[in-house]
Amino acid sequence: MTMPSEFDQGIGPRKATYKPYAQAIPGGYAIDKRDRSPCTNGCPNHVNAHAYVSLIAQGKYQEAMAVILRTLPFPGTIGRICPHPCETACRRGEVDEPISICALKRFVADQVDIEDIPVPEIERRDEKVAIIGSGPAGLTAAHFLGLEGYESTVFEAQSVAGGMLRLGIPDYRLPPEVLDKEIRAITRLGVEIKLNTALGRDVTIDGLFKDGYKAVYLAIGAHKSMKLGIAGEDSKGVISGVDFLRQVNIGQLTRVDGSTVIVGGGDVAIDAARSALRLGADKVTILYRRTRAEMPALKEEVEQALAEGIEIHFLIAPTKIMTHNGLVSAIECLRMELGKPDASGRRRPVPLAGSEFNLPADLVIPAIGQRPHINFLSEIAGLELTRWRTVVTDPVTYSTGIDGVFAGGDAVTGPWIAIGAVAAGREAAISISRYLKGEDLLSGRDPVEFPQKNFVPIPEKIDKMPRAEQATLSMAERKVDFAEVELGLTEAQARAEAEKCLNCMSCCECLECVAACKAEAVKHEMRPETMNIEVGSVILAPGFETFDPSRYDEYAYNELDNVVTSIEFERMLSASGPLKGHLVRPSDHEEPKKIAWLQCVGSRDINHCDNRYCSGVCCMHAIKQAVIAKEHSKNSLETAIFFMDMRTFGKDFERYYDRARQEHEVRFVRSRIHSVDPESTTNNLILSYVDETGRINEEIFDLVVLSVGMQTPAGVLEMAERLGVELNSDRFCASNSFSPVATSKPGIYVCGAFRGPKDIPQSVMEASGAAAAAGSDLSPARYTLTRTAESPPEINVKGEPPRIGVFVCHCGINIAGVVDVAAVRDYATTLPYVSHVEDNLYTCSQDAQEQMLQIIKEQKLNRVVVAACSPRTHEPLFQDTLADSGLNKYLFEMANIRNHDSWVHGNDPGAATEKAKDLLRMAVTKVALLEPLKETTVEITQSALVVGGGVAGMIASTQLADQGYPVTLIEAKAELGGHALHLRKTWRGEDVSSFLKDLISRVNDNSRIKVHLNAELQEVKGFVGNFQSKIRITGNNGAKSTTLRHGVAILATGGRAIVPDEYLYGRHPRVFRWHELEDALEAKQLQDARCTVFIQCVGSREPNRPYCSKICCTFSIQQAVTLKETYPEMDVYILYRDIRTYGQREELYARARAAGVIFIRYSMEEKPVVNTDGGDRLQVVVKDHVLQRPLLLTPDFITLATAIEPFETKALAQLFKVSRNEDHFFAEAHAKLRPVECATDGIFLCGLAHYPKPVEESIAQAQAAASRAITLLAQKTLQVSGQVAAVNPMKCSACGVCVAICPFGAPGFNDRNLSEINQALCKGCGLCVASCRSGAIDLKGFEDKQIFAMLEEL
Amino acid sequence: MTDIAESDWQPKIVAFLCNWCSYGAADLAGVSRLQYPPHIRAIRVPCTGRMNPKFLLAAFRQGVDGIWVSG
Repeated sequence: MTMPSEFDQGIGPRKATYKPYAQAIPGGYAIDKRDRSPCTNGCPNHVNAHAYVSLIAQGKYQEAMAVILRTLPFPGTIGRICPHPCETACRRGEVDEPISICALKRFVADQVDIEDIPVPEIERRDEKVAIIGSGPAGLTAAHFLGLEGYESTVFEAQSVAGGMLRLGIPDYRLPPEVLDKEIRAITRLGVEIKLNTALGRDVTIDGLFKDGYKAVYLAIGAHKSMKLGIAGEDSKGVISGVDFLRQVNIGQLTRVDGSTVIVGGGDVAIDAARSALRLGADKVTILYRRTRAEMPALKEEVEQALAEGIEIHFLIAPTKIMTHNGLVSAIECLRMELGKPDASGRRRPVPLAGSEFNLPADLVIPAIGQRPHINFLSEIAGLELTRWRTVVTDPVTYSTGIDGVFAGGDAVTGPWIAIGAVAAGREAAISISRYLKGEDLLSGRDPVEFPQKNFVPIPEKIDKMPRAEQATLSMAERKVDFAEVELGLTEAQARAEAEKCLNCMSCCECLECVAACKAEAVKHEMRPETMNIEVGSVILAPGFETFDPSRYDEYAYNELDNVVTSIEFERMLSASGPLKGHLVRPSDHEEPKKIAWLQCVGSRDINHCDNRYCSGVCCMHAIKQAVIAKEHSKNSLETAIFFMDMRTFGKDFERYYDRARQEHEVRFVRSRIHSVDPESTTNNLILSYVDETGRINEEIFDLVVLSVGMQTPAGVLEMAERLGVELNSDRFCASNSFSPVATSKPGIYVCGAFRGPKDIPQSVMEASGAAAAAGSDLSPARYTLTRTAESPPEINVKGEPPRIGVFVCHCGINIAGVVDVAAVRDYATTLPYVSHVEDNLYTCSQDAQEQMLQIIKEQKLNRVVVAACSPRTHEPLFQDTLADSGLNKYLFEMANIRNHDSWVHGNDPGAATEKAKDLLRMAVTKVALLEPLKETTVEITQSALVVGGGVAGMIASTQLADQGYPVTLIEAKAELGGHALHLRKTWRGEDVSSFLKDLISRVNDNSRIKVHLNAELQEVKGFVGNFQSKIRITGNNGAKSTTLRHGVAILATGGRAIVPDEYLYGRHPRVFRWHELEDALEAKQLQDARCTVFIQCVGSREPNRPYCSKICCTFSIQQAVTLKETYPEMDVYILYRDIRTYGQREELYARARAAGVIFIRYSMEEKPVVNTDGGDRLQVVVKDHVLQRPLLLTPDFITLATAIEPFETKALAQLFKVSRNEDHFFAEAHAKLRPVECATDGIFLCGLAHYPKPVEESIAQAQAAASRAITLLAQKTLQVSGQVAAVNPMKCSACGVCVAICPFGAPGFNDRNLSEINQALCKGCGLCVASCRSGAIDLKGFEDKQIFAMLEEL
Repeated sequence: MTDIAESDWQPKIVAFLCNWCSYGAADLAGVSRLQYPPHIRAIRVPCTGRMNPKFLLAAFRQGVDGIWVSG
């Protein structure tokens, strides 16, 4: 079952059984199952049409047959005669025409001989069942009872078996040999058919019970014709439709002469008419009292009848049958018209007065319906009948009023389609089986309603195709005999038809996976469950969806193959993606030579959508994609990014942007897009855009990538409403700047893109921040639900000769399907020191682990090798088993004979087996040389040091203290507050000073936080969990030093705005910087001002400081808006390079423009020039980006948004051995994955010392840093791997190379001046081992002798 | 130069793979069912920093035709 992979954006396929993506957690496979397929759902017997159609498409006919036989023992029969409600329901009809499901079923039955299918081994049961009637209901019941082990006897009144299937359907539709074959297949299951044995005449129900039958199933059908109720009906030459067909079918009637008139519009009427034609009738006419639209007969059958020359007269009803010499001569009729609808919903025919006419007829066949023969039914005591003379049963169990008697089929429903009778027979078999076992008949059988809504969507691009039609017998051949008219689909037709299936349900429940999974892990009967889980807090991280660009007409995303979204392009670029990293465009799979990226699709846009915010990530990913695309391309690739503002505001982003421009020659075009149009003769695209000067340009590209924005999915909005969590106007989760990860509902926290569009580093920070906030609530419950793993004491194996146990894994068929596992196992016995060998189906399974544990103990093994998969995934599991058995866990080795062998050499089993032996031999050799290693346990000092008393440092401190950990907070200045002391309002207008006041008092009042002001760090010793820091505190009485022990440290030393030496700053009293403007405003110094200018990027994004200070655009625009609102007459200019109001801050930018703030863009090459007019008056000259002309502004004051730089970080970096980036901000261990941790264990970072950021991001990051620090502190002790380097002091020459080379500072000189490695700091990389020229260092677990030994066994 | 794929030569190649990257990549090659000739025998090392030049000499002495160090 293949469908477009969601992860690959529909570019590549996936199966219904799939792993959402390679790194998905949990790592297991999922089965995608939607609503039940309409075909299956539409079938009264729920035959799984979807599954057998899919299997036909794959050419798996045996498997398709098995699927059909799960519910239907008559594939060939039903495949020929069914009116196929499955096809009526088929969604392919919405595209073109329904799939020919019925003909496909027949096709399968034609391919597979049902009598060749082996009878399964069934445990026989003693109870026998009597079944009355050998029609589809009776025989189906017999079939399924047989599969349950019950023998049955089927009593048939007629001389042939099959009921209506045999007697009511002419041979040209259903050749008798097809039915007979399927009946014979049923009799193999212990079913005996007694012909010419009628209920009431030959047997009775009481008699059957007396004869030892334990249950009776009444399936006598409905064979009695209904009468027309007109004069002359009993004349010679009048025969009912079912009687006529029966006589024809059993060979009693072989010839018909003259003119035949059939009355009725159902299948029986058509069958009778076509049969009469074949028996020699000169003229065959059908009279039907309504119109063709109301005719219940199968459409195909009616068409065939007309094609064969049968006349159908509509709106005609017989009134009298006239005779001549006692024989029928004519039929008197009335013309009708349609009146009001009757109970059946069809319009009732009403006679037209005076329209009588006569139609000559030699044979009249009334075929207007049937009902059961009830003469003998009414004599059965306790059997209740309806007024239509059908049997009354329970609707679910089909039990009658008589104990042990069940009924079904047409006898219960009245005349209905055969598949309905099959369904009844199958249900009866379930009931009878349960009855005989004494089980509850009803339990678990409540009818399940499938809503029929959630299906796999119909692809947008789908070719319309005609329905496969079977070849039919020529007209000439048809009139000769009863040869089958429909000849079945050819294999090519069937495969092609089956491939048209839309796979509505995704997984079709063919159950092939159940058979394939040797571990029996697949459970299709699983259903959604509702669970109640008691929790102390909830974190919402539901993420985002990308904007669907189809609604933009100008990008023609739906129409043009070579217009793709950025997320599709991401998959196209990915080495593990659907194109395997070979970049080709969709239309013709040619390598593109010129690609354009269009920015802000579904962002910063309230015309096409309601997303006025900036999605914040698209600029960077467009640049990244352009750079990577260039790297992928063998030929020279041109790339151009069309944008409004380039927003590379994150850490190290601006540098990347610079490199893309300068080194990779990515072209950046400041523009607005007009349209994307196809070039007429190629698959290329014409991009029309307006550049900054207003000029319209056209340029041709091979491929256009739409950088689509982020938005909250509808399902998440619904969830928010259910939870009662407030949203903001941009449909993200509402939160405030001071508790950024808290929602409007206490105890519910939020992180990631649901809190506003953001990139991965910010999301990960927020995630840790949310964990900290939730952790504070849960702090009292810490350790209450934890359990400690207990291992037995370790057995000392030192000095023992190796006794190696080898376990070779089949991994189901993953290894055993290629590698000869038995040969590898036997080979292992020949290797030295091996004392136990076995192979397992799955060595990693729970039972195999228990067995391994027993064997280690019983066989006194002291080394173990598992030949299976990768140690990267499974080594810890086996090591735990070793530890549980008392063995040191390092006495273990794996041979990777799956990932490195069977999976990659599938086409060469012989070589794969030899390789498996080699790998195993190498592993056995190594394991023999392994020694028990000791893991060091390091106690963690349960306290933290926080350096820096700004908002970040204080938040981190309170977070740690709230969770119970003592904190020492040191601040270099004389007061707490840091940079925030200068802030008045956040961009949302929240009051920073009152927040800060409250935070400072919370810090001061917290008994777990000890604050040292005027304090500086002088010395740091130790390592993660065990730091000793010397702090120098300057007080009124001079300085004193104190030494502090702490387990972790958080660096939050903050930043400051630079003091520029340009734009007359410091030389003119009305040139301000940042908050000096606010101070001046507060002092009412600017009331008379008429004009003001803000200059952005002062000292930022310049060669000596090539980063964006991130907060300046928002700050200046906020100030500008305030000025405009306070002094509407004032001219406010903002001179900028790119406006970077990322995320929801975009709203502020829109407000400023609406308020009349004038934005003038300048370039690095042409910076504004600030002068005075010679006197006091300020002048600014800037080149207008639209007019391309210099403008002279004469502001009353100027505000400079100067760069933010970190406070001195060098000394601290040296003390804690942490690194800084080129701009002197502290460097995180990994920008995305470990954004608040330093590469040195136990050191964390947050706030402006990491990068410029607004207060809300500082707070979230501080919470994150505390959270990560607590994950360390909460462990209380650290377990350090035994695979570490160790120095042999006898060989050490004290050269110091190891000390210099180690990135982690693990080696040091001891008091004997020899190198010694601190196990707690060693990461086991082996760098020192390789560099030691004295050969004094070795790496435990990867010792030289072990590797040499492996090499010798190559 | 003859095409190796067409010759009978069965080279012996040893690969020293860093546990954290290349060994994982080799695992991923398996997951992706990428097929390659069965001549490589991988030795997992904690980091290519662990590589000792003597390993290479020992491997050549052992008669290997090629050595691949990846990390």
